[in-house]
Amino acid sequence: MMTEKKELYLGYSSDKAVTPFFQEFLEFLDQEKLMKSVCTQCGTEFLPPREHCQKCLSLCELKEFTEREAKLRSYVVVDFAPESLASKAPYVVAIGEFPSGLRLTAHITNLMSVPEVGMALKLAFDHIDEKKLTYKFLV
Amino acid sequence: MARKVAVVAAGHSKFGKRYDATMRELCAEAYKPIYDAGVTQDKIDATVLSYAASQFTGQGAGSALMADYLGLQNKPHLRVESACTTGTASLRAAWGMVAAGLYDVMLVLGVEQMNRVSSAVATEYMSMAGDMRWEYPYGISFPAFYALMASRYMHKYDMPHEVLSRISVKSHHYGAQNPKAHLPREVTLEEANNAVPICRPLNLYDCSLITDGAAGVIIAAEKRVKEFTDQPMWIKGIGAGASAMMIQDRESLTSIPGAKRAAKAAYDMAGVGPKDLDMVQVHDCFSIAELIAYEDLGLAEPGKGRELIENKEVYHDGRIPVNCDGGLKSKGHPLGATGLSMTYEILKQMRGEAENQSRQIDDVKIGLAHNVGQSGQFVNVFIFERGW
Ligand SMILES: [Zn+2]
Repeated sequence: MMTEKKELYLGYSSDKAVTPFFQEFLEFLDQEKLMKSVCTQCGTEFLPPREHCQKCLSLCELKEFTEREAKLRSYVVVDFAPESLASKAPYVVAIGEFPSGLRLTAHITNLMSVPEVGMALKLAFDHIDEKKLTYKFLV
Repeated sequence: MARKVAVVAAGHSKFGKRYDATMRELCAEAYKPIYDAGVTQDKIDATVLSYAASQFTGQGAGSALMADYLGLQNKPHLRVESACTTGTASLRAAWGMVAAGLYDVMLVLGVEQMNRVSSAVATEYMSMAGDMRWEYPYGISFPAFYALMASRYMHKYDMPHEVLSRISVKSHHYGAQNPKAHLPREVTLEEANNAVPICRPLNLYDCSLITDGAAGVIIAAEKRVKEFTDQPMWIKGIGAGASAMMIQDRESLTSIPGAKRAAKAAYDMAGVGPKDLDMVQVHDCFSIAELIAYEDLGLAEPGKGRELIENKEVYHDGRIPVNCDGGLKSKGHPLGATGLSMTYEILKQMRGEAENQSRQIDDVKIGLAHNVGQSGQFVNVFIFERGW
């Protein structure tokens, strides 16, 4: 039986191209769970998750990603933003690297000065509005 | 065995905010000097038309429209697209067709019209060349991708922003001497270093321009070259490389991995190395991209690229001249035309015909073009050799 799927978006996107796999990812995110994907055949892990393994193209399954501490691999302070995010500028985009080596690209939302490569980041979650969810970094 | 292929003619429109023209008129401006040099429509077997983004103009099937406008409506044509490498990707595709014997003479014409939309909208379109599911929702603009490289590079090598500004000063120094340039004026180091931030650590003067323009070349199989010129420029080496789609997945942020792979392939095919080059055109979509290119092409060791600009070795009278036409920064960056504009410039320099002789490089025998797409997903490196 089909159940009505909840309308959810990642970050500041309003992309309606939501697949069942991505929808499941968003529903977990709605419960403040970040999911990675693990290949059912070769075990390779992906963050952000992929439905198909990049190595062997087998299907992956979602597993909860539990690391919370990352290091800042690099950053940008976006002053002049694309039109869709113009009202948010300036904002900080960061690439965080976790001890496992997995990485995530997200905003740092509580920084008052220019960040420093190598600084410690903490993974956190946010509801931007009723439909828009995100993971983010805090310092 | 592949046939030898040469660039035998080239043309270039004025780059700039060309509100006076659309893609078709820009193409005509670039083809006219080629036509005037004797390569009339009847001599062209087929055309590759190169433009990166149809969103900017809304015209579908643009290659048909432009071929028709140039009087090539009854000759085969196709469009090639791979972001900012669209121009050299087209040249690579055409080279393959001529080298294989499918055609003898081809026109490769690149164009982009980007100023029909506002800068914010153009920035939006270009950010859509990031991963639409995972990167685009976080507002990572085109300069933001390069700022991520700059932050990491400046941290790793403890480099001040001023080094990047020196690159912009050079670009504008040469753009000011190029009548085809979009923004032909000098800037001071102080101006460049203190400009308004765009994507920190990059400021306005670290970023290339949103430009309208076209550039094109004719390539011919060896047996037909003499019909067109006694000054052919042989395509001696072609290397292509690629890098991961998401910038977070790259093995390095202080180098463009695909550019290193492309450079190695091109050097191997040409049988030359960085020391053999007399001039280089690099893809300076951002100042940091030029610095990284010095290193990816083997002109400097990793972390030492700054010495080339600080010692002015990359000026037209230096050890290895780079972008002495103003580059993407001052000449401009109409996406689909850029790689062919680089090719045009190398041919002109080899022939001693630099537009404005004050920037003519002495005795160019071997030149290299380095063309990068988006933030490094595509890279083409071409090595050209003087044929006379
Ligand atoms: Zn697998």
